Amino acid sequence: MENSAFHSQQKWNIGFIVFLTLLLTLLSQISIHLTVILALGIGLGFVLQKSRFCLVSAFRDPILIGMTQLTQAFILLLGISILGFALVSWGASQSNIPLRLNVFPLGVHTVVGGILFGIGMVLAGGCTSGLLMRVGEGFAMQWVGFFGLLIGAVIGQRSQVTWRNAFGESPGIFLPDILGWAPTLILEILVLAALWRLAKWWQKKQLGE
Amino acid sequence: MNKILPTIFHGPWAYWIGAIILGVLNILVLIVRREPWGITYNIALWGEWIGTNLGVLNDRGLTIHNLMAATGTYLNLGLILGALWATLVASQVRFKPIRDKKFFFSALIGGLLMGYGARIAYGCNIGALLNGIASSSLTGWIFAIAVFSGAWLGSKLLLKYLM
Repeated sequence: MENSAFHSQQKWNIGFIVFLTLLLTLLSQISIHLTVILALGIGLGFVLQKSRFCLVSAFRDPILIGMTQLTQAFILLLGISILGFALVSWGASQSNIPLRLNVFPLGVHTVVGGILFGIGMVLAGGCTSGLLMRVGEGFAMQWVGFFGLLIGAVIGQRSQVTWRNAFGESPGIFLPDILGWAPTLILEILVLAALWRLAKWWQKKQLGE
Repeated sequence: MNKILPTIFHGPWAYWIGAIILGVLNILVLIVRREPWGITYNIALWGEWIGTNLGVLNDRGLTIHNLMAATGTYLNLGLILGALWATLVASQVRFKPIRDKKFFFSALIGGLLMGYGARIAYGCNIGALLNGIASSSLTGWIFAIAVFSGAWLGSKLLLKYLM
């Protein structure tokens, strides 16, 4: 039964692979750079779907049902990314390649925006990557969520100035600038390790062994 | 080989395997794009363009050419196509309708809050949280605490009104 279900959409699958190949080939005639980016995007979507990776679950499930497996996996993803980003930005500075990291200005909007985003993702049943992923999977609820996201993002983008004028903002703090690279990385990995232990302990406390 | 491929295609993969591959892809995006992976900025741009063309928003000079040259467009398009493909290889594609009217409104309100919150804070879970922290930015850590508090509040709302 499992096997017949597995083969039932194989024709569509082959058609879709042909479509993706054509799309990538066509795009490569215009820009190799964008082709690689699109391929990476496809990879991200594929892996997100296959591993059921959902950042909402990582934040919500510990609260709602006491499960923290995905939270622990997210902490692992953070650890890998921190070390990788450090290596890449070091490499870029060595060879004078311009690289922009996401060090955003800090202000009231950071906290308000985070809280609104946190409430919103739980209500919509997906964070932005999760919404896009489920749009691709065919969930009608996330299509509605995506429509809301589109409108909310435009309004938010246009209110950035209002928030800045009302509360001001300080430039983002790049931790290696004040602590140095090595202490920053050690500190961040220690914090992640502590969070990981905490997540493990929380699940044990909530669900038993 | 007969067993491995179906397992890869059919999934689900263990979370930690997903985390490792996503980490590698996230770093590759940084290398190729020379800036980290993000989602909502590009979505706001598309919303801007649609709104302008519908005549709802005043024109700020954004053209379809800008959008088609933006790397964010291809990351977002790729994400949707990749997820669809992943569902298709496992023959799991089907339209999943909304079971209850209240979920329609929770999705709509949730989406609006997410979009607004992400853009005033300069990024979503990916751009500001994952990659804010990955960039060793203090803002990323503070944003993460705020999102966690929001998720806690949202879970309370969910339990009270929707479940």
